[in-house]
Amino acid sequence: MDLKAVLMPSAKNGEPRKILNAAIIGAGRMGITHLAILGAHPAVKVVAIADDSPMMTRALRKFRPDLRLFDDFARMLESVQLDLVLIATPPHLHAAMIDAALDARLSVFVEKPFTIGAADALRLTARSRAVNGAFQVGYVNRFNDIFMTVKKLLDQKLLGRLFSFRSDMFGATVTRVSSGSGWRGSHQTGGGCLYEFGSHAIDLMVYLLGRPERVQGVVFTPVYSAGVEDIVRVNVIYSDGLAGSLTANWSDQSYRKPTNKIEILGEHGKILADQYELKIYLNRAVDPYVKGWNTAYITNCFTPVPFYVRGNEFTRQIFHFADSVLDPTQPNLSGFSGAAVTQEVIDMVFADADGGKQ
Amino acid sequence: MIELDPLILGDNQFFGINHMSQEKAQQMAERFNDMQAIFEAYRAAHSLGIHAFMLNSNEKAGTICDYFRDHRSEFPGLVLYPSIPYPHKYANLVAEQGIVGAIQTALSGQSAVNLLGLAGKSLSLLAGDLTRILVMLIDVEMKIYRHLDFKAVYLQNILTDLLLGLEFREVFIEYCSYIEKKFRAVPGFLTMNVPRLATYLESCGIERAVICGAVNKIGYLMSPDVVSYEEYFRGSQNYSITAMSIFAGGAIPPRDAVRYVGQQGIRSIVFGASSRNHMQATIELMGEFA
Repeated sequence: MDLKAVLMPSAKNGEPRKILNAAIIGAGRMGITHLAILGAHPAVKVVAIADDSPMMTRALRKFRPDLRLFDDFARMLESVQLDLVLIATPPHLHAAMIDAALDARLSVFVEKPFTIGAADALRLTARSRAVNGAFQVGYVNRFNDIFMTVKKLLDQKLLGRLFSFRSDMFGATVTRVSSGSGWRGSHQTGGGCLYEFGSHAIDLMVYLLGRPERVQGVVFTPVYSAGVEDIVRVNVIYSDGLAGSLTANWSDQSYRKPTNKIEILGEHGKILADQYELKIYLNRAVDPYVKGWNTAYITNCFTPVPFYVRGNEFTRQIFHFADSVLDPTQPNLSGFSGAAVTQEVIDMVFADADGGKQ
Repeated sequence: MIELDPLILGDNQFFGINHMSQEKAQQMAERFNDMQAIFEAYRAAHSLGIHAFMLNSNEKAGTICDYFRDHRSEFPGLVLYPSIPYPHKYANLVAEQGIVGAIQTALSGQSAVNLLGLAGKSLSLLAGDLTRILVMLIDVEMKIYRHLDFKAVYLQNILTDLLLGLEFREVFIEYCSYIEKKFRAVPGFLTMNVPRLATYLESCGIERAVICGAVNKIGYLMSPDVVSYEEYFRGSQNYSITAMSIFAGGAIPPRDAVRYVGQQGIRSIVFGASSRNHMQATIELMGEFA
């Protein structure tokens, strides 16, 4: 499958078929980002927002009087004619909201992590199959130019049989002793480094390598946080001889912004990649790559997006969702079923961790 | 049209920012970890005739501004182009504390907050007067540049493009009027969406503003695409443009990069250079093509 051919048909095909009515639940950092991006999609009109923060709703009321505002998502779903909903609330609220959206037979985009616990993720994935629509989870790395290129190369078996890998995520999100308040300070609400950063590293692994058989040797390290881990380390084992490790650390101040890194070793060579850069070492030449080191930068392999807010991948994932709603027969590149596998791996990590899930 | 300096030295190289490679970014972060290396680069630029510096309000910028104030006589004619805010400071704060918490932290200790008796959650009471929060945040970011000369104050691109997508018209208007009124400077916008922003600013009735956006022939960081930019540059523009990312992080040879910018009729660039030789080479190319 040529991933880029699947993406953004709406940008090419001229006039859209219909205008989709959209609503956003949760006007925090991601909800606001999605609102900004959706404004540029020719086939989508955001008509309503549900958020219970007085500050955000007052801001939206002042600056966007065209939007209908609700402090209760259920009332919004009852009152507004919608085609799709984007859910960007704390993770523990996702499942009930997705259920309500599925009851209303709406297409759903939900931020990562999908749910708290794989049981809900699997149940909602099954439920969504009965609704004609698009169902996507916000694993944005699946839409990054470099990681999409890596996926294509692995699908082409460039490295042959795979033996070893790393999938890591680092950033400077929590860099002081926090009060532990807010949803990021507790596993029950979807906080902690495993849900916040680890889910990205795990999903990238699932996207590129598929579902692992088991995890072991999980270590949770607190640095600043009282109730949750700030660093998580995991060994991951696949059934076909592939094994690797995964580290997520949201307390590393040497990183200016959150960064995912992967390293994959196979019989024909190795791939090293982050969001900007791809290095391929090959034991033999495979056109167009030479034997030895090959380097590609984002500037060699990006495709532009119609409107740029925080990076091409953020626009691409939202446009892909809208386009999937317009044409649900297209494969979704970050659908519920893949995110449910990621959720199962998160559960495995919690099960293996010292002391288990809180 | 507002006259902008033809050559403005940017600051990404000093702060470990490279839009092409994290590895190159890391090399720069190590090399310019020592503030003396940054000061040395500014002295080299000034001695070559580059008197205009774009400086983002990140954590090192305060020290750099102190240096410029303390060494005024060594930098005659110095003109700064501040860009505010440092986005990752806020991104990390928002990720940790949420939007309301981040604003509270950013404003904590500010006299305005204390004067208004705003503590803890009572900040949300100010929500009805968001423009007041906006100008307080601008003041916080602009503090470090006090007593230095600056021409235009740029709103950083993550914020510009977010507000553009949100269509928060009043924020654009308030930002422009506050920058002119309080700082007697030209309001500026960094953006990755030059044609869309220019059209939007016109629709807001904003006449006096400048735009800084990526201009390179591969279309990197240029949304929706390079063709739309070229069309925009061919048309009658209301806003002076400064080109950034002209080398696309190193992907485009310097000669090709500067020639392309000149062909678009652009007369001002902000560029990153880590050595005297690079600066000299860029000056010569600008002389040839622009």
